[in-house]
Amino acid sequence: MRKSLRRMATAALTATTAAVLVAPAFASDIIWARYGDSDTLDPHASTTTLSMQSWRQIYDTLLAFDENGAPRPNMAKSYEVSDDGMTVTFSLQDGLMCHDGTPFDSTDVKYTFDRALSDDSPSITKSAWGPISSVDAPDASTIVVKFDTPFGAFVPFMADPFSSMLCDTNEALGDAFGSTAAIGTGPWKLDEWVKGDRIVLSANPDYKNFGHPVENKGKPYSDRLIIRTVPEAQTRLAGLRTGELHIVEPPLEEVAAIKEDSSMDLHIAEATGQDVFFEFTISRPPFNDERVRQAIAHGVDVDMALDIAFQGLVQREKCPIAQGVFGNDQEFCAEHLASYDPEKAKALLAEAGYGPDNPVDVTMMTWTGGGRERMLQIFQNQLAQIGVKTNIEIMDIGTLNARVKQENEKTEGKSTFDMMGWSWYDPDILYQLWHSPGAYSGYNTPELDAMLEDMRSTVDPDARLEIVKQVNAYLLEKAIHVPLYTPGWMWLYVTAQDVDGFVIGAFDQPLLMDVKITD
Amino acid sequence: MSDQTVTAPVPAASAASAKFRQFLGNRGATVGLVIVAVLVVTAAFAPWIAPYDPQMMGAGPRLTAPSFSHLFGTDEFGRDLFSRVVYGSRLTLMIAAIAVGIALAVGLTIGLIGGYAGGWIERIVMRLVDVVFSFTETLIALAAVAVLGPSLQNAMIAVGIATMPFYARICYATVLVEKNKPYFEASVAAGAGHFRIVLLHILPNILPTMVVVATLGVSTAILAAAGLSFLGLGAQPPSPEWGWMLSAGRDYFSRAPWMMIAPGVAIAATVLGFNLLGDGIREVLDPRQTARR
Amino acid sequence: MRRYLVQRIAAALLTVWVTTIAVAMLIHIVPGDPVQIMYAQSQGTTPEQLEEIRTRLGLNEPVWKQYAMFMGRILQGDFGQTIRGKQPVLDLLIGRLPNTLLLASVSLVIAAVIGIVFGFIAAYRRGTAVDTSLMIIALVGVSMPHFWLGLILLFVFAVNLAWLPVAGTDWRSLVLPAITLGVANAGIIARLTRSSMIDILDQDFVRTARAKGLKRGTILYRHVLLAGLIPVVTMLGLQFTYMLGGAIVVENVFAWNGIGRLAIQAIFQRDYPLIQGFILVFAVLVVTVSLLMDLLYAVLDPRVRLS
Repeated sequence: MRKSLRRMATAALTATTAAVLVAPAFASDIIWARYGDSDTLDPHASTTTLSMQSWRQIYDTLLAFDENGAPRPNMAKSYEVSDDGMTVTFSLQDGLMCHDGTPFDSTDVKYTFDRALSDDSPSITKSAWGPISSVDAPDASTIVVKFDTPFGAFVPFMADPFSSMLCDTNEALGDAFGSTAAIGTGPWKLDEWVKGDRIVLSANPDYKNFGHPVENKGKPYSDRLIIRTVPEAQTRLAGLRTGELHIVEPPLEEVAAIKEDSSMDLHIAEATGQDVFFEFTISRPPFNDERVRQAIAHGVDVDMALDIAFQGLVQREKCPIAQGVFGNDQEFCAEHLASYDPEKAKALLAEAGYGPDNPVDVTMMTWTGGGRERMLQIFQNQLAQIGVKTNIEIMDIGTLNARVKQENEKTEGKSTFDMMGWSWYDPDILYQLWHSPGAYSGYNTPELDAMLEDMRSTVDPDARLEIVKQVNAYLLEKAIHVPLYTPGWMWLYVTAQDVDGFVIGAFDQPLLMDVKITD
Repeated sequence: MSDQTVTAPVPAASAASAKFRQFLGNRGATVGLVIVAVLVVTAAFAPWIAPYDPQMMGAGPRLTAPSFSHLFGTDEFGRDLFSRVVYGSRLTLMIAAIAVGIALAVGLTIGLIGGYAGGWIERIVMRLVDVVFSFTETLIALAAVAVLGPSLQNAMIAVGIATMPFYARICYATVLVEKNKPYFEASVAAGAGHFRIVLLHILPNILPTMVVVATLGVSTAILAAAGLSFLGLGAQPPSPEWGWMLSAGRDYFSRAPWMMIAPGVAIAATVLGFNLLGDGIREVLDPRQTARR
Repeated sequence: MRRYLVQRIAAALLTVWVTTIAVAMLIHIVPGDPVQIMYAQSQGTTPEQLEEIRTRLGLNEPVWKQYAMFMGRILQGDFGQTIRGKQPVLDLLIGRLPNTLLLASVSLVIAAVIGIVFGFIAAYRRGTAVDTSLMIIALVGVSMPHFWLGLILLFVFAVNLAWLPVAGTDWRSLVLPAITLGVANAGIIARLTRSSMIDILDQDFVRTARAKGLKRGTILYRHVLLAGLIPVVTMLGLQFTYMLGGAIVVENVFAWNGIGRLAIQAIFQRDYPLIQGFILVFAVLVVTVSLLMDLLYAVLDPRVRLS
């Protein structure tokens, strides 16, 4: 998507305007504006993409994702998985330094694990760390992690911001940690966090990049990184035009114009791991009937909806795990996924006992932003054509999470289904969603549980691939997890023409070590 | 604010027609009346006035500017904005009626209890009303939505609760005035029960005042409810509620400013209409104000 | 005077106390299980853990005891942590409060200046076309939804014309929100100023002064303006609390980083500890402002001091 640098005149004009109208920050500041702020700088206390992106700047991880989302050594110069899959041993790089000047060694790694897995205030993603039985630091550069049962998703997890490495000096900060202070080993140090407004970071002179897919191996090229919160998409774009901002998420509707505009570059995140899908409340009619779920899946013309709502900026996703994640095979999934077929949908509804006199009448929910309210309005129209009545409710993602769970636990009242989104680096996401009790107390059967347990404990890639496919087929055929599209949120970035070296790492994690603001 | 309305007398029939002529003589009030009448007619005859189904996607090309075939342009789905604004008038009137209805019913009850009972009941009830009143509508409405959860229905309830203290205070003050009138003592002396006195004597005497107060409250209710929908705490898509439409138009402002302008003008015009109407009625009923003209 | 003061302070304390009860009960009247909502973000929380949290938060205790615990914490300045991101509630609110106060104060000045000037001119030129036009402008100002006015100003001046920064943190980013909030409230002040001035103009002492042949400027300034301003000043106090309410919406339009934006986020996210904290802080704020206004009124108007 990057265009070559040209039309210097426009750039010069923009720069002049900016200089006149806007008090310039330091020339080497990068100003990145997003729609919302990080919830916290404590990697154990949030699950939002906004938070994870900020952790990625401050902290580093034992492993790092390459361009395609495969884990490779980073702070750990090597790692070894025992043959039985029960032990993983990491060996740390030499000379790692924390932001406060203390050396980073295996005691810090152990501190991070102990904190995430503690009983009284564990990480809210504790279950993703796996069935860990012990973590030991036999010497300053070695960490040994032992498991109760083999856990295939552990290695990629060590490259994810959820497993950000914390320095043990954070312990002394008490409640200030994650709120006003955060000590990591990442490329940027925290200077100041004005909540709801800006996170001000400065380049870490001691930083060493061992595994991230950018050119720069040391201190970031720019002096400071300022992550701003600018909720209105139109204002973000205006700020980019005047030179006040350097990297922004654009309004969807402006993307066509941005592509034509040589004063800015559009970047589309790839390998985001994001999967947007339908899931249903199965505790009561009508969705306890597989035929009705299938009817919904057959009743929506996803390609058409994507075309209207996103105009080619997202892709159709046919698997319950997103493109770029291990085990995603579009052709295989397409064989099991319900295709658009309104006649079949009506027939299934009739078979299940629903029709014009007794229509399916349900609530369709999703979370705010990302053009999703448009998708639901189109789906609402399409579903009306097969005789399904829907009303739309749009809410915050956290509220939606709670609501879906509540709906699954209720046994009466108007039923619901929702367009949900998850991003994960491994098919283990399916275990978290659908193994009883499941993230939302939704669909589960002993049969599916057994398959998911098998998937979790199988380490051999070929054998694991087979099981992942089986699970995908099961979820699609029973219309439990109906995939729709990918990516789903925060996947578009626009940089001003004078911004050089912007890289979006795998799983939608911008890496800013290479970024330079040229004049 | 309350002293201007509490003194409103109950107009006798002949006085009433004189007042109505006076009302029509007030140009502002006439304009207000016309705007409100247009709104009511639009709402009542929406299916005949609107050229398209407000929910029909592809009624025209996406994001087209206002033209003869689409007076207010079209939105991101090619829905006809004129038709949506026309149907939105129904929602606006419904919101106004329900929110004001709730506020009036609750405020009236509280005001009657506080004013009639007197003593410690009066002190506690009216003190609580003052507490709620001190918070401003926006905050109370937000707190109510926080508890009830976002939806158009809850937004109407929230606005009702939020504006209730205004009605309660005026009702209370009016009741106090009534209690000093001779008929009140007469009926107490005649041994009438509390219920009888309140329902048969006080209520009919204060109702006209309260209806006027309700007219004045309509614009506040409409603005507050539109604000909630704008913030995403009220109407949900694809509702043609004006506040929500305005909010949905934000991302298109550079390409399709009409998406935000049409519903915004509709809200402003409606509120202006009710404000003019309310002012007109108040001036007619409050001789002190009228004298100043 | 002292009795008046004591009464006002008692009323203020009562308001805050009633608010604490309402806020403490908030968690019990929300639909659904509050603990489940609070921990919806955590993956794989077991029912036992939820029960443990419920016990820790005292939700299994009798209501009066829960209230006592709540008050105990609040009085120690412990407003709890947000659900999202576990941030200390009071720090968050206090960090943003100055921004809201700044916005409301500047807006109040704008509203007062426009409102008083308009109202005064209209009163003085009563019945003329000037009066009518000014009052029409005032009424249109009152009728316009502020969020709409704000968005139009934002899009025209910051987005299309780029005269003002869109994401600045200095005074220039205060310009548009303050104008929006100020203009939206100026209409009410203008109307009030006009009627208050008219009352004074009609009073005997002004007529007397005129009859005595005092210069027009002196009459207007010394008698009418000052006397007419007393009710306006009281009104400004009430206006300020309205500004604080209006700021909630305007802050969201302009992404002004005050407590209003925080509150809307909290409501969206059903972050109950933050909502509770917000209401309490807002209550204290509103009560303090009205108390100060009552005092100011007492100082300005001798009749109050006597009563």
